[in-house]
Parts: sequence; structure tokens; C-alpha cells
Amino acid sequence: MTHPQRRRGGGGRGRGLATGGGGSAVRGRGSESGGGIKGGGKVLVAPHRHAGVFIAKSKGDALVTKNLVPGEIIYDEKRIFVQNEDRSTVEYRVWNPHRSKLAAAINIGVDNIWIKPGLKVLYLGASSGYSVSHVSDIVGHEGCVYAVEHSHICGSDLVNMTEKRTNVIPIIEDARHPAKYRMLVGMVDIILCDINQPDQATIIATNASYFLKPGGHFMITISANSIDSKLSAETVYQKEVEKLQMEELKPTEILPLDNCEGDHACVFGGYRLPRKQNS
Amino acid sequence: MLVLFETPGGFALFKVLKEGKLSNVEDLGNEFMTAESARKMVKLKAFDKFDNTSEALEAVAKLLEGTPSKGLRKFLKANCDGETLAVADSKLGNIIKEKLKIDCVHNNAVMELLRGVRSQLTELISGLGDNDLAPMSLGLSHSLARYKLKFSSDKVDTMIIQAIGLLDDLDKELNTYAMRVREWYGWHFPELAKIVQDNILYAKAVKLMGNRINAAKLDFSEILSDEVEADLKEASVISMGTEVSDLDLLHIRELCDQVLSLAEYRAQLYDYLKSRMNTIAPNLTALVGELVGARLISHGGSLLNLSKQPGSTVQILGAEKALFRALKTKHATPKYGLIYHASVVGQAAPKHKGKISRSLAAKAALAIRCDALGDGQDNTMGVENRLKLEARLRTLEGRDLGRLSGSAKGKPKIEVYDKDKKKGSGGLITPAKTYNAAADSFLQTPKVDSETGVKEKNDKKKKKKKADDEEEAKTEEPSKKKSKKKKSEAEPETVEPAKKEKKKRKHEEEEAEMPAKEKSEKKKKKSEV
Repeated sequence: MTHPQRRRGGGGRGRGLATGGGGSAVRGRGSESGGGIKGGGKVLVAPHRHAGVFIAKSKGDALVTKNLVPGEIIYDEKRIFVQNEDRSTVEYRVWNPHRSKLAAAINIGVDNIWIKPGLKVLYLGASSGYSVSHVSDIVGHEGCVYAVEHSHICGSDLVNMTEKRTNVIPIIEDARHPAKYRMLVGMVDIILCDINQPDQATIIATNASYFLKPGGHFMITISANSIDSKLSAETVYQKEVEKLQMEELKPTEILPLDNCEGDHACVFGGYRLPRKQNS
Repeated sequence: MLVLFETPGGFALFKVLKEGKLSNVEDLGNEFMTAESARKMVKLKAFDKFDNTSEALEAVAKLLEGTPSKGLRKFLKANCDGETLAVADSKLGNIIKEKLKIDCVHNNAVMELLRGVRSQLTELISGLGDNDLAPMSLGLSHSLARYKLKFSSDKVDTMIIQAIGLLDDLDKELNTYAMRVREWYGWHFPELAKIVQDNILYAKAVKLMGNRINAAKLDFSEILSDEVEADLKEASVISMGTEVSDLDLLHIRELCDQVLSLAEYRAQLYDYLKSRMNTIAPNLTALVGELVGARLISHGGSLLNLSKQPGSTVQILGAEKALFRALKTKHATPKYGLIYHASVVGQAAPKHKGKISRSLAAKAALAIRCDALGDGQDNTMGVENRLKLEARLRTLEGRDLGRLSGSAKGKPKIEVYDKDKKKGSGGLITPAKTYNAAADSFLQTPKVDSETGVKEKNDKKKKKKKADDEEEAKTEEPSKKKSKKKKSEAEPETVEPAKKEKKKRKHEEEEAEMPAKEKSEKKKKKSEV
């Protein structure tokens, strides 16, 4: 998958890709690999610029995360097995950008996803747990993902998924009432919001006021048609951004997701950021 | 002022030390930036730990509804004398105020305070580290999630689909094995196959006797009736089958054991299926019965899938081949599918089966939705609707009767006589057994007078629903002999009674006669024409 034009300028593409600090590129046996990768060939897995995310290179590129629970897959995503020098196998799962908006955002080239190993994440709109599983892979065992999903049908899939992954806490509640899960959630570093409701700005703001630490970050996906189908996409994004700004959620990046059907955009930002000193 | 804070490990009550700071909401957050300043702001007054996960679940579930649990009430009573209580949920606050007479407060300042406490929770509550909180939180969230989703293995409908599939498989297997037993043992004792018709009884009999020689000595009264037993013993003596060795008999007996155990298991499985159906879909079971209900669920894939189908689909589920064929060739679509086997449809007369099946399908669709998506566990809805359906059936049948017996207005409607129209229940009425004169042999041809006389009688008899065998035989014989003389008149007469005969059940003799006579008449017709 080639990197299309990034909306935000900034660093070049070669920033820490294959030889970036620390991580070494490991050659892997490409069995059961997919998402553009043909099976059987040699696969190179290299760390991505974002910590915790990797790229698997062969004929095409695929975004992968290291599987927290080796041997388990969520639906039918492909896995890549890589042999280390000490003969142990590391398992990576392919992250499909068509299924997960976060993966799409990373592919397009967002500056900073703010998710790092060891952080605590609140994920609103967890659905069946596909994206949640990848976030859980990234944050690892030290981190924690609180997955909120209101629907019972998706909720039961989510609970099944979380039985294997101990760093995900399933919460089957309406995200509009964070008071209802206040006893389960501590302070978090990031809120990811993928709920597609017209009042989603209010939802994320209430949740932030309960759980997001000052100086924390957020990501919200905006589906223009879900908010207001009469207005143009750009207008909708602008309006949402304004709503967020009123609630102390300051956006730092707005990224239109071109490879999704419909008009979607991703907004990344910070909460109660310390005021910059004007030098 | 006190602050009530809920953790996965228990309830915590904090005392606010610097109440003055509460007025400045915005900067309140800064007070909690470090553990030191946080401790200066609030102090832990009391902590009520949950003893185990179930207590935690109960307490939290109550909280979600907005009411304090017993444990919380006791805790608050013991510790909250005279102070105002800051709570996260205003509804909860109201109830606490009502029941425990403790003033509760909920505003932005409170929210900020809670935020602050949350961020420094581990520092403020000694003895509750991060390591403790995480598994508690995980356990509590899982139990809460299950409680919310009402995970009960009782409600899983895959069991039904598997059970009904297994039932069908078992039937097939049982039949195959039973046939095999018959064939195998038939080499040794062929007569037994005709004597004992039932598969299970056959297997039992074979198991009991083994070699047919033993049959005379043994007592079969538990398995077979006396007649059959007598036949069996007789036949075993004069049987034509070959001899078989003991080893062969051993294997045949093993097979019989298999058949019997499978049959027993099938009965158990059926009971299991019935009990599951009553648990998972009580309303549907009340309406159509266990077996039909299970087949519907299995056909639909799952109860949830089935609940999405409209009543018209439920009506013809199982008749898809006929449906699409009819739609493609623009013919009439089938009126019923799997639903045909429901007892309500079975009770209806053939004329009304279509209407009842439609009504039943409509009510069944509602029942399915009730079971799949509703909360109730009882079958009241199903039972009510069943009564409604039965009432409708009675109305439908009543309409028919009313037409014949007359209405309150006046005379009953007199229908035009149509000899071909089936009255009553059609083929179920058997003609009375009378003396069959056809078996007699005539020595001379009857005279013309008697023939006309017979013809007159024939005309009268035509108006009755059933024709006597006697006159028919009489009309047959003379018309057969006189057909050369009187062609047109005789033939329709004979053909008509023949036709009438064909419509009703006949004796075997007549059957043999009639085709023969028909053939001869037809031949004569042809020869004449």
C-alpha cells in the first residue's frame, strides 16, 4: 500500500522506517500473511514510526501489530510469523485499514497517534473489538484498554475477545452516561472515539471530564453523513471541531480518510493542554 | 464535606480538607497534580471493601439503577453524620437524601473533585495499589458485562439446531441399521421379517433368541403380543433359513444392541429437545409445538435471524423450491411450508388449511420476536394466540355449517346440484357394504322390459349420493349385452355408475370387475364408432 499525500506536511517518509532507532528489521517467514502480502515469500517486519506498530514488507506493505495473545485471532485476519535469532517465533497480526479507521489514519500518515506501549486508553464504540484488539497489542500488558460498547450483540463478541486479552476491560454501557461505568475506569491517557452519533462531541467531552487526564489526548472519527447529511463534509468537520474546542478538547490534526467509503475524517487532539509560554 | 467515590474494590469516603478551594472550579484540577497536594486537599475517611466479586456486582448493579445497596447504606450511615455528601450521580444523591437524610450535592466542583481523586486514587487510598485495582476492575467488569448481557447458557439456540439435526440423522441411522439387522438375520430366519413389522421389536426379538432354535423355549410376552409370538414359534420350527454359527450370531446381537441403544437415545434426545424448546422459545412452542418450532429455528439459522422474517416468510419456510418455481412460471405460490405440520393446521379441513396457515404464520412471527428479543420467560403470549387461532378455526368451520343449516334471516341457501362436487369429507365416506350381486352368474339374458325398468330405477338412483352395488351390477350386465342394440343411452349410464364407483372406495372384486368391464365397454365403443 503506497502512502498517499499526507495532509500535514512535516517530516519525510523515511523517518525511522526500516532502520529507525532501536528496532531492528527482522526477516520473517511469510506464512499466513496477507493484506497485500503473498504467502510463502520472505517478509520483512520493521517497526513503524509509531511505537508499538510495525510494517510487514514484501510485495506490498501491510500494517501489523505484535499479537498480545499468540495463537489467537479475532475474526480471520492473517498472521505473520517471524523467527528471532534465538529461534523463538514472534507473531504479528495484520491490521486492516478498511476495517479500522485508526489503521487507515496511520496509513495515510498521521503525525502522532499518541498511543504508546504502557498507556491507558478509553475506547468508546468498541464494537466487536477488532480495533480494540490492535490497540491492546500496542499498549501491551502494562497498559490498559477500557472498551465501551452499548450494543449487546457486538458486546458479547467483545466480551469473548476480552476473555483472552487481560488488558482489555469490557464495558457494556451507553457512552453517553460515563457515570454508569465510573467505578470501573481510572484516569486514562487517551480517549479514542468511534461512535458516529450526532452528539458525539458532547459524549467525548463528558467522558473526558470524567476520565481523561489533563494533558491527555484524544482521537475522534467523524462520519459526515452521521452528523448531518444535508451539509457538505468540510462544513460538518468544521462544526465538530468547533464543538470540541468549546469543551477544552483542542484538535491538533484533522485527517480526511480517503480510503473509506463515505466522508470520514479523523481528528486528533489534546485535552487541557498546558498553556504554552509565549517566548 | 465528604466525597463518595466508588472503586472496583469497594466504596471510599473522602473528607475534603480545604473546602475553600472548591469555589474555584478551574484551578481545582491543579490541586491534584501531585500526590502531595492531593493529600492536602482530601483525606480518606473510611473504606468499605467488597468481600467478593458477587457482592461487588450486586452493589454496582444497584448503583447503575440509581439506588444504594444495603452495604452502601450502612457504610454511609456509619460515617456521614452531619456532613454533606458529594456524589457523582444526582439521582443517587436524591435517593440517599430521601432514605438516609444525608444532604447530597452534585455540581461542577464535585466533578472536578472526583476527577482529582480518580487521578490520585492509588496515592490516596493506601493499601489499594495499581496491581490490586486492575484485576478487581477486570473481574468486576466481566461480571457486570455478563449481567448486562444476561449470559445464560440456557438461552443459546444453537443447541436446538444441533439437536434437531441430530434427531434427523439418528432416524436415518436407526433405519439403516434396522434394515441391516433384518437383512442379516433374514439369512437365518427369513419369516421373522414378515411376522414382526416394527424395527425395534424385531431387534429385541433377535437379541432375545439368537438362534431360531431357541425361539420355542423362550418367552416373548414382554416384547411381542401373543398372536405374533405364536406365529414366531411356529415359523421358527419350519423356517427355511440357513444355519449360522455362534460367532455370527454374536455380531448380529451386537448390532441389535446398537439399534436398541440408538432408539433409546433418540427418545432421550427428543425429551431434551422438548425441554430446550420450552426454555428458549416458549411462545413459539405453545403455538406450533416443539418439533415444528425447532425445525423453523433450524431453517432460519438462529432464533434471532428467524425473528427478522415477516409472517409471510414464516408461512412458506421450507417450501422454497415450490415458491420460486411458482414465482418464475407465474403460477400459484405454495400456501404452507414447514408450518403445515403444526397441529393447528393439521386439525383444519383441507379447505381451510391455507387460511389457518397464514394466520398461524402471522402469530408465530410475533411469538418468535417475543422469544428472541423480549425479556419474558413465560409462554402467556403463545397460549393466548393459540386460543385465538383455535377460535378462528372454529369460526371458519362454523361458516360452512351455517351455510347449510340456515341463518337467522331465512331459508338456507339452496345450492345448485352438481353431481361431481364433493360433499362432506370427500373420500372418507365409505360406501355401505351390501350384497354383491356381481359375483352371481346369470343363466339367461333379461328381457327388454326389465331393462327399461332397470333404467328407470337407475335414473332415480342417480339422485342419491351412493349407488347400490346390486343395480350397478344389473345395469352392467344388461347394458353389456344390449350395448349393441342401444348404444348411446346404455353407454353413458354404464359409464356414469362406473365413474361414480371410481370415486369411492371399492371392494377388491369390484375393482377387478370394473376395469375389465370398462375395458370391454370401451372396446365396444371403439368398435361401434
